[in-house]
Amino acid sequence: MGEQLPAGWEARWDQQNQAYIYTEQSTGQQQWEVPTQPSFPSQDQSSAPPPPAAAPSGKAGRRQYPTAQLQSMYTAQPGSFEYQNQGQQPQQPQHQQQQPAYGDASLSSAAPSFFTPGMAGGDAGAGAQGGAAYPQQPMQQPQGGQFQQYGGGAPVDQMSNQFNQMNMAGGAGGYTGGAPGAGGFEQKQLHAINTINLIGMQPDVRGLEAPPPPYLIPQSASVTQSPYNQPDPSYQRCTLTTMPATQSLLNKSKLPLALVMAPYRSVREADGDMPVPVVEDNVIARCRRCRAYINPFVTFIEGGNRWKCCLCGLSNEVPQLFDWDQAEGKPADRWARKELNHSVVEFIAPTEYMVRPPQPPVYAFVIDVSQAAVQSGMVATAAQTILENLGNLPNADNRTKVAFIGVSTSLHFFSLPPGATEASMLVVSDLTDVFLPKPVDLLVNLTESRTAIESFLARLPEMFSDSFTVGNALGSALQAAHQLIGKIGGKIIALTASLPTLGEGALKARDDPKLLGTSKESSLLTSASSFYKSFAIECSKAQVAVDMFLFSATYTDVASLSCLPRYTAGQTYLYPGFNASRPEDAIKFGTEFGKVLSQPLGLEAVIRVRASRGIRMSAFHGNFFIRSTDLLALPVVPLDQSYVIELQLEDDLKGPVVVLQTAILHTTCYGERRIRVITQAMPVTDTVGELYGSADQVAIATYLANKAVEKSMNGSLDDARNVVTNALSSMLSVYKNQVTSSAGASAQLAIPDNLKLLPLLACGLVKHVGLREGASIPPDLRSYAQCLLTTLPSQSLISYIHPRFYSLHNMPPDAGTIGEHGVILPPTLNLTSERLERHGLFLIEDSQNIFLWVGHEAVPRLVQDVFDLPSYADLVGGKFTLPVLDNPFNQRVNAIVAKTRELRRGVYRPHLYVVKSDAEPALRSWALSLLIEDRMDGMGSYAQYLTTVKGKVNG
Amino acid sequence: MGGEGWLFLFSVLMAAVLLFTMVFFIIMFSDLECDYINPIDLCNKLNQFVLPEMIAHAFLTLCFLLSGQWLAFLLNAPLVGYNVNKIMSKNHMYDATEIFRTLSGHKKESFIKLGFYLVSFFYYLYRMILALISGTS
Ligand SMILES: [Zn+2]
Repeated sequence: MGEQLPAGWEARWDQQNQAYIYTEQSTGQQQWEVPTQPSFPSQDQSSAPPPPAAAPSGKAGRRQYPTAQLQSMYTAQPGSFEYQNQGQQPQQPQHQQQQPAYGDASLSSAAPSFFTPGMAGGDAGAGAQGGAAYPQQPMQQPQGGQFQQYGGGAPVDQMSNQFNQMNMAGGAGGYTGGAPGAGGFEQKQLHAINTINLIGMQPDVRGLEAPPPPYLIPQSASVTQSPYNQPDPSYQRCTLTTMPATQSLLNKSKLPLALVMAPYRSVREADGDMPVPVVEDNVIARCRRCRAYINPFVTFIEGGNRWKCCLCGLSNEVPQLFDWDQAEGKPADRWARKELNHSVVEFIAPTEYMVRPPQPPVYAFVIDVSQAAVQSGMVATAAQTILENLGNLPNADNRTKVAFIGVSTSLHFFSLPPGATEASMLVVSDLTDVFLPKPVDLLVNLTESRTAIESFLARLPEMFSDSFTVGNALGSALQAAHQLIGKIGGKIIALTASLPTLGEGALKARDDPKLLGTSKESSLLTSASSFYKSFAIECSKAQVAVDMFLFSATYTDVASLSCLPRYTAGQTYLYPGFNASRPEDAIKFGTEFGKVLSQPLGLEAVIRVRASRGIRMSAFHGNFFIRSTDLLALPVVPLDQSYVIELQLEDDLKGPVVVLQTAILHTTCYGERRIRVITQAMPVTDTVGELYGSADQVAIATYLANKAVEKSMNGSLDDARNVVTNALSSMLSVYKNQVTSSAGASAQLAIPDNLKLLPLLACGLVKHVGLREGASIPPDLRSYAQCLLTTLPSQSLISYIHPRFYSLHNMPPDAGTIGEHGVILPPTLNLTSERLERHGLFLIEDSQNIFLWVGHEAVPRLVQDVFDLPSYADLVGGKFTLPVLDNPFNQRVNAIVAKTRELRRGVYRPHLYVVKSDAEPALRSWALSLLIEDRMDGMGSYAQYLTTVKGKVNG
Repeated sequence: MGGEGWLFLFSVLMAAVLLFTMVFFIIMFSDLECDYINPIDLCNKLNQFVLPEMIAHAFLTLCFLLSGQWLAFLLNAPLVGYNVNKIMSKNHMYDATEIFRTLSGHKKESFIKLGFYLVSFFYYLYRMILALISGTS
């Protein structure tokens, strides 16, 4: 029917009248008669009703019907609208519109990260040093670089001068997020490349918060030009915001190409996060060939009856109900459809997307009840937390099921029949061939058995309070839990305070101190028993995820136990030396565990990334099981977990724009099958310079962290650190030789402005507790740090690698008070002990721990105000809870600590440690080890690290 | 036909079997790449054949050693050493969680083994014919 219609018309079958109804797409007018005249949206479309509210004003209607005819009209008439637009504002690249993100006058004058071609480098440097304490030597920008191309026909010198001015204003923060260029340029836009020198310059750590370089895709690439057509970097970002046209170009550039994503990231309304738009009408338009979902970057052809897939180029039919508002029963505005306006969108999937009816959320708690667990107070705290959070477990439709298993030398099952008020315990001591003592009432409906569960949890601590059993048959208990919930799938939450020593998967204390610091150390970072891998595979097959909460005061073999969360998409949590009698420990665990319990779950999920032809996913990092070459299986998707996917180019990329699309099919805990789709469009380039100009230092650091951890497991820690350093130096060497074209040895170390903090992050990585050299790091802490390095989303990961450092005793008057965006934090300092003052109070935080550093000459008044203690001598270092006192300074410090704790996504609640500058050497050196620009035992300073890198670049 | 003839006849058959095992491995790996099989099934299937293959090859090598076929023995000894080393370091089995990361390495290894078995097949065949000729003459 549709193909006989004139252009601009669409036919729809009307169920009620049993006839076709014809809609003129441009006006929405409907008629029963078969139309004969084609409908062309003409130039006066600009007076037509504006498309979605999201579209930029001033171009209303221009892209309203970007059909093939229209596009040819535009390209055939050079004097048309968009060119006029460009003529009016010929030299207004988007960077200029940005206010400097760190609009500190001394900063912008002290950052000579730009050049004027022809001006001698030394002069510019002298003029620009201003208040900077470090000599900075700008380098000569190569002639014939990118600026000239950017300016189109403008005079070269003038143009680049202007451009430099703009960047002076913009500084590091001057990029827009994901929005494409605002000027309506149809010609190719390029990133500005500002070369700066690293040697002798103190890095400006405030740049770590800057957004990635923009995706400079042409305006016309998106049908709706919605400002949301690119994902927020917290969902997905790429190490390069411009795609290389060929694999050989990518190899030549030595830059990594990988996607960093957290598709199931939390929505924090306090941060201004937008909830994910949901397409509720079950109309899911997908490409017939590559199965890509319709997105803002497709084009509509044949009068809007068909759409052309932006990944493979196939022309597909637009679904019948695509322009139909099913709720209202009337035609809808196609251009208001969420999937054409938003990069991140969720579809409610019809039954074809289900293997089985949506399963309920299921939790099986495996709780260690051996002597160590009971004595540390873990059992009591855990029972209390579960009890308090029973109402917060996702249970909107009263389907949620729970089961409890206690484990020591035998397995303790608890029968919780619906309606009962008491639980009864069943003990199974056969660990070799695990069986369930009872077919029913072990896995129970939370709502129906609520009374029994509550009384059980209240009694659980005292049930085992006189337990003297030593030994832990965790593996067998996990198998039992798997038997319990394996038919449905769900989550096993294992809490253990001792090393599993019995039954399946028994482990030995293998942490031989003689191995530490040697090449054999990496064997302690991989699993000691094959059980944890094979069991993880079984779990993944049965849609069961495992979360591990580890508490042991001694060695627990995190490396082996963390295999379960790794391959089942769970998470490992470590509480070394947990003791619930210390309120800080109990609060930390209780808060984090409570958040884990109340998180919404995405069940039975698979992630698949599709991309334009020529791009292939070559390697995957993160917590999941790789089920086929491009399909990741996640029994339960946790919130805020990060995945890294490496990309390769099999074929040369043809078009000017490529599209990457991540789809995550999952069942919500409310029984809906949903598909979350994240679409990202990137321009393609064939120059190395443009690749460097578009590189995203945060994404590259995340990628390097994952690569290094992988290497430390398959090779040695030495190899792992070399992965980071070699990657950095080969990048800098290519940049030096091919972009700045300065051959031979140089006293300087050139780097593009957008990567200027990458060396600092690399230095932070090689000095990180997960990768650091040295024989004093317990293998458990290393393994746990590696778990975090591979799962934390970039937001937390960057501060985990490069902690934040504030000076509190002399912070600005507004720091710690409530500002426009919540509590104002003091300015961040460089991570060097040069900043520490003997009388000062400092805060260092790495997203997992907060250290309050008190100088030994701190005046009694300061100690009194903050800690409510008479003098420094009365202060005891260690875990600490700040008192809330009636003085403004205390309240400001408390506000900063509180803000720091909720600054980032994720469940973690950092411990607060008080560190005295002259006591507790272990704690003191732990805090100092976070100051990564300093030298510390055996490892060089940041300056020395740069010298090493420079040696590799020059040599 | 003397003992040597029988030995090489046996070797030819063994080499043929090993050859086919490798072909099977390679086919399975490419099935995995094309999504015809999932990594768990693949590893379960292939792991059944890993040890038999190694034992068969080691047995053949032992036969050469005992019968004093030094050249044939020396030809096979490195592979036996390689296999033993793999077993000692406990990475001779295919691991479903790592298979995609290590797939290219496994494929390469299988192709090299395939080539090796092919060469040895013809060598054994040649030796068998030699033995037959010298036996009849
Ligand atoms: Zn397609």
